[in-house]
Amino acid sequence: MSHLKLSGISKSYGQFNALEAVDLDIAKGEFVTFLGPSGSGKTTTLMIIAGFESATSGQVEIENKSLFGLAPYQRNIGIVFQNYGLFPHKTAAQNVYFPLQMRGVKKAEGLRKAEEMLELVGLKGFGHRHPKELSGGQQQRVALARALVFEPSLLLLDEPLGALDKNLREQMQIEIKRIQRALGVTTIFVTHDQSEAMSMSDRIVVFEKGRIQQVATPLELYHRPQTRFVASFIGESNLIDVKITDAAKREARNDAIGAIQYAPSNRPPTGSEATLMIRPENIKLSRNPVEGRHNVRMKVETIINYGDNALVVGKVGEQMMRVRVLGADVVIIKEGEECCISWLHDSVYLIAK
Amino acid sequence: MNRFLRWLGIAVAIFIAAPLVIVVPMSFSNARSLQFPPPGYWLGYYQAYFTDWSWLRPTWNSILIASATTMLTMVLVVPATFALVRHRFRGKGIADLMMLMPLAVPHIVMAVGYYSYFGSFGIVHTHLGVILAHTCLSVPIAFLVLSANLKGFDRTLERAALSLGASPTRTFIHITLPILRPGLIISALFAFIQSFDETVVAIFISGRDAETLPRKMFDSIRQEADPVIAVISTLLFAAVILGVTVPLVVAHIRNKQARLAAA
Ligand SMILES: Nc1ncnc2c1ncn2[C@@H]1O[C@H](COP(=O)(O)OP(=O)(O)O)[C@@H](O)[C@H]1O
Ligand SMILES: [Mg+2]
Repeated sequence: MSHLKLSGISKSYGQFNALEAVDLDIAKGEFVTFLGPSGSGKTTTLMIIAGFESATSGQVEIENKSLFGLAPYQRNIGIVFQNYGLFPHKTAAQNVYFPLQMRGVKKAEGLRKAEEMLELVGLKGFGHRHPKELSGGQQQRVALARALVFEPSLLLLDEPLGALDKNLREQMQIEIKRIQRALGVTTIFVTHDQSEAMSMSDRIVVFEKGRIQQVATPLELYHRPQTRFVASFIGESNLIDVKITDAAKREARNDAIGAIQYAPSNRPPTGSEATLMIRPENIKLSRNPVEGRHNVRMKVETIINYGDNALVVGKVGEQMMRVRVLGADVVIIKEGEECCISWLHDSVYLIAK
Repeated sequence: MNRFLRWLGIAVAIFIAAPLVIVVPMSFSNARSLQFPPPGYWLGYYQAYFTDWSWLRPTWNSILIASATTMLTMVLVVPATFALVRHRFRGKGIADLMMLMPLAVPHIVMAVGYYSYFGSFGIVHTHLGVILAHTCLSVPIAFLVLSANLKGFDRTLERAALSLGASPTRTFIHITLPILRPGLIISALFAFIQSFDETVVAIFISGRDAETLPRKMFDSIRQEADPVIAVISTLLFAAVILGVTVPLVVAHIRNKQARLAAA
């Protein structure tokens, strides 16, 4: 049974459709990430759930009850904003106490609960500090404590880690997961960073241009993207435009590469256009053709060495290809040289047009 | 360059401070009229000021008028600023312009206008007349100060409060108002000072009954150059110094205490 249910949510600003027919079910306790490029409608969706924007059509339900007509302050939804939104004139403890105060909790009890919550987010003893006396990561934790202390039915986080540097980001990703698990609160986390989405989520909702492209677990999204956009947005990929030459034998043809076989798939019929995806780490680089694999010759253009691994970019005819190799293997090849790249038929994934 | 700037700074400071250096000693002078340097010193004119109703009454008038002007100004400006800064509506451009208009029109023109216009309502030479006129002059100043503050106000804070369960009214009381308080205080202070300091309009319409302190000082300097003027100037100056330094010192001490508590 779903905890949060969005059905047919659309939102237009004049002629512009920011959201088109968004449907989504989220289970109780689930950690769901909205992933998509900037402007794809993630914030708009959150704001409609929170009640700050009204949908042009469609409805939001929590536990089968429509939120229609409820003002934001009546919805019992916790939000962490990108710039935290901490009240500068209140201390950390007073910030966390605020939602309890609004719910009529007595000061002594409320402040005690606030301190407990601060302890849970790792800020024991910081209660008397004002937001400007706290670091970015600490402010983040206060905002999280404040959004959780009143036991909301839903926690919304809109790109909460955007302002933090890389190390702190990773630390906070772990922290947020830990706290979310400890409290079991149903959570929607917004980000445009795919690695963040991959590492944190139970399920990912991919947005593009106001539409949901795919809803899936991180691994499913990586291995079985349903659209070309998802394939290009999640991880690195080689996307090869093809025409299906024989659906029964799973054969397709690309102008530069020629005939390619793809992994089992029940979709497009012979003669239709499609896209084949091969992940760069599934391609092997060698001097000579390797038996049992599909081999093509590639002219190497650029090698980017990361130490433990390297990205080799080259061209097969006009088709650009990216190959991810182990750092030690890259010494066999130099920029400008020709080499052989190969893959197994099973790592060629077909995406219907 | 650096040295030049330093000397320029010192020169400007001297230029600004010079009148004070002259006025303060003159307030303790025992000369019959304003004279510098003073021939001798006593406190007689302070005594004269604090015992002479012809000085105390205008002082009281000024305080009364400036207070009423401040209140009326804030009652008008606070809602107007929220509307003009936060909402878009037809005629907003014109409304903006009208708010600031009194800044552009010379006071003397305004004064003549009020004199003839208020005459038809019979409120020339009354407190009410001066308060209304001063409010017109204070509104744009208070509006400028407050709108600058409101534009800098992060509206996420209000959204945060709403999401945490505060109704719009409670959000305003618990979040918006306290955060804007410094801006409101400064804006009110400017309105008060504007009225307290205003002379041209007061000369035209305050008359005998509602005579303000600046008007009385102006009359007095024209007729007899009474050294009490120096006394008043000194007192006003002292009030301003206190008004500026006391909050600074208090803030400093509070900060220190907070830091000690945090350590
Ligand atoms: N108040 C508004 N008026 C007009 N367009 C808006 C408004 N708010 C958002 N949009 C548009 O809606 C689209 C989706 O925005 P948003 O949900 O903020 O995207 P995201 O959070 O995914 O970056 C964007 O193209 C944005 O320009
Ligand atoms: Mg956004």
